[in-house]
Amino acid sequence: MLRVGTKRVLGTTSLGVRVPARLYHERVVDHYDNPRNVGSFDKNDPSVGTGLVGAPACGDVMKLQIKVDDKTGKIVDARFKTFGCGSAIASSSVATEWVKGKQMEEVLSIKNTEIAKHLSLPPVKLHCSMLAEDAIKAAVKDYEAKRAKATASGEAATEEKLATA
Amino acid sequence: MSKKNLCTPLSSLLRRCLTSIPQHFTSHSSPHIKLSILHRVSPHHRPPHDPNFDFYCSLGFSWKNLCSKSAEEIQLGCWNCHALPHSAPFLVCDSCRCIQPVDGSTDYFQIFGVERKYDQEGENLEGKYKEWQKKLHPDLVHSKSKKERDFAAEQSARVIDAYRTLSKPLSRGIYLLKLNGVEIDEEQTISDPELLAEIMEIRETVEEATDSEALNLILSQMQEKLQNWSNTFGHAFQNRNFEEAKLAIRRMTYYSRVIDEVGKKL
Repeated sequence: MLRVGTKRVLGTTSLGVRVPARLYHERVVDHYDNPRNVGSFDKNDPSVGTGLVGAPACGDVMKLQIKVDDKTGKIVDARFKTFGCGSAIASSSVATEWVKGKQMEEVLSIKNTEIAKHLSLPPVKLHCSMLAEDAIKAAVKDYEAKRAKATASGEAATEEKLATA
Repeated sequence: MSKKNLCTPLSSLLRRCLTSIPQHFTSHSSPHIKLSILHRVSPHHRPPHDPNFDFYCSLGFSWKNLCSKSAEEIQLGCWNCHALPHSAPFLVCDSCRCIQPVDGSTDYFQIFGVERKYDQEGENLEGKYKEWQKKLHPDLVHSKSKKERDFAAEQSARVIDAYRTLSKPLSRGIYLLKLNGVEIDEEQTISDPELLAEIMEIRETVEEATDSEALNLILSQMQEKLQNWSNTFGHAFQNRNFEEAKLAIRRMTYYSRVIDEVGKKL
């Protein structure tokens, strides 16, 4: 009875061969237990870019926000909120860590395969890292769109001032 | 000449040409006879000197047409007693009660004897499921051969899958699309701002909710939305508007997920 119990605990088969149990990689568990950068910025803040993406097959939703220094184009801070599996949460957490301190153009080259490798994601969870890559791109795109809009309206206001002066 | 027309005159043809066949085959004209005669001349090789073969050839129909039905009949016959099934689906033999191997071409709707459509209201799926398990459950065959025990395990697992898939609207809808060659892409990412913002807000509310009253309110709202989108799917599917059907499935997936999460908290 005790021998059977011990076998189960050690995860051995009847032949005494050790079989590794299927676990999340310790990095994934770490990001899940000690999440970094969870939270939100004010999406109306002009220095904030918001990326909102989803994986419809599993009903996941991921929000990644970046705070950008307008003068230098550097990402000074990042936040995320993800509703999904452990791999999706860890992927977006890693993404917020990696974008901090980088230029916007630089973060566009962050690949999902790098995130997946860092977290040792199994093939079935690769799409979670893809979601994180897409979230980064969406956040940058949103920031740039906001800036373009602000610049356009700023120019229009200046022209108006000159016209009325 | 249609295949159906071929079958009726065939039986009379067989009786006429039975003179060239050994005596014990001619004593009765049950389905077993057709099987054994045609089985001797399999579709896989040409028997060069068989008088029956020459006779069929001279009648002008192709051997393949002749044998395709019989090949099906042979496959459909029970592996144990060779009896033909009385009706579809053929999961258990009516004569000897032996459990048959899984036939992948039988879809889940056929297993439950229901029409292949989205609306299954009024169909007693649970009752039929229990009836099947009474005949297929692995516990019934624990003293039988390994072959039959394996068939029982596979067959009852398939019936369980079928029941789980058909009993919930979302999985039923996805399965119907699959049967029509429309697959949901597991890897797709979307950026639909309206839908995602809505879901984000709801999920955040669920996360922050502390009392069961608030959670139950969200639950009923989600169930209502799920029902509405389920109806949308039904109409879209009926009109074979698969793109709209997929979008409905997407919504249903998100709302189902919220319902699951609320359930965990309650």
